[in-house]
Amino acid sequence: MYERPVSGLEAKTKSRSRVIVLSVNGETHEVMVRPRHRLIDVIRDQLNLTGTKDGCQSGTCGACTVLLNGRPVLACLTLAVDCDGKEVRTIEGLAENGQLNKVQEAFLDQGAIQCGFCTPGMVMSATALLDDNPKPSRHQIDKALEGNLCRCTGYNAIVDAVLQASGQGGVKPVMK
Amino acid sequence: MILFEFDHERPNTPDEAVALLTHAGPDARLLAGGTDLIPNMRYRTVTPALLVSLGAIQPEAPREEKDGSLRLDALAKLVTIENSALVRKRAPMLAESAHTVAGNQIRQMGTLGGNLCQDTRCLYFNQQHDFQFVAPCYKRGGDCCYPFPRNDKSTCWSVFMSDIAPALIALKAEIEIQGEQGLRRQPLEALYAGDGLKPHKLGQAELLRAVIVPPASPRQGWGYHKESVRGGLEFGMAILAATVTLAADSKACEGARLALGAVREAPVRLTETEKAMAGQALDAERIAEIAEAASQEVNPLPHHGFTKAHLRDVIRIQMRRLLARAVERAVNPNA
Repeated sequence: MYERPVSGLEAKTKSRSRVIVLSVNGETHEVMVRPRHRLIDVIRDQLNLTGTKDGCQSGTCGACTVLLNGRPVLACLTLAVDCDGKEVRTIEGLAENGQLNKVQEAFLDQGAIQCGFCTPGMVMSATALLDDNPKPSRHQIDKALEGNLCRCTGYNAIVDAVLQASGQGGVKPVMK
Repeated sequence: MILFEFDHERPNTPDEAVALLTHAGPDARLLAGGTDLIPNMRYRTVTPALLVSLGAIQPEAPREEKDGSLRLDALAKLVTIENSALVRKRAPMLAESAHTVAGNQIRQMGTLGGNLCQDTRCLYFNQQHDFQFVAPCYKRGGDCCYPFPRNDKSTCWSVFMSDIAPALIALKAEIEIQGEQGLRRQPLEALYAGDGLKPHKLGQAELLRAVIVPPASPRQGWGYHKESVRGGLEFGMAILAATVTLAADSKACEGARLALGAVREAPVRLTETEKAMAGQALDAERIAEIAEAASQEVNPLPHHGFTKAHLRDVIRIQMRRLLARAVERAVNPNA
């Protein structure tokens, strides 16, 4: 039988914690994690990058999407110990020199935001799509964003924003 | 955070993983993509003491073997399967089935082996215990079954919802399992026990290494359909997969394999209907009769709010459409 690790105070003395090295938005961090910590716990609670949202916590909403080695993954279903030595990009890391990236700009232009809770995940998924495929069709955008739920906008403005970010907008921005 | 303590190992080779599993005993679980296991751990439907993560083991790219069969590493990500040019050419139905799984992020994380070894699901079982009505159900170690109150302790009618398993069964795929005694090879169907409480026949210290898809016979066509409500990021209501091989005259049916998913505790093969199809000329009328027979051969479990009658209707209608498509593809492979 495997001896189950104990919780609470005893766990701290009998620590099964380990130090992992994460590169988050270009900065290297050494963080102490236990196996039960997920990537989103580290990003939000230890690194204080609260742009990434913890929504359903079970992989059904996509609000926690981050780029792990360039691939969009769900930070709520990734254990932090499995991310040792990997590169993470979050919504905070998209702006360069204080300038929002083109997906973020397009979301603003199109008003593709209502409550904003899904937006970080949407923007990360869209950024990953445009990295792979700079001129996606509407269907490809639908497919790339299918793992991100938005309960406010009805998605049209979001898809329009991604089309605009890929330079094939043709849709008149509603806000300037 | 996951609300209980557990330990985590990250072996570098499959042999090390097997050794760890052997040493740790039944409280250890394999972690591949984590998209099924981690939510279940959050709901505390599984509470392993040790996770053996396969994240450090690099999967091989899909490749063609000498005998023309397609060899896929069980640790290959679903996006790899979905986008691989070789898989799309050699087993388009497999690529299509991987494409229908959940959403993009989950396909980026989830593995082929993990999809085939996922746990069965039930509307009542897959939630936090706090949300459940009174007592835990049989599958959670409790003393009742809410969806089917007349069930006894030895039955659990949760359904197996892999989108890929029916496609692979229709393609006659085999799997390679690594255990303490080395590698063994068996048809994919033999992995499933048909028991909702313990859906797989994988030993405690065994892991799935590879999936082997045999070469398609000439004049073989395929049809695949995942019926769902929203059409994205969801589990299937019913999953249908079929391959049809036509005789040399491109009219009569020489052989067929039909498989269904999400309607029972394991993927179902419709062997009676397959037998009835042999030698038949597959025109529209005949296909409609076969689809009717297919919907009667299986006894679908009502699940996630869908009634048995509705599931039968779905199977009858979609089976008719996909068999017609399979015959079309068998006659003209470029269709």
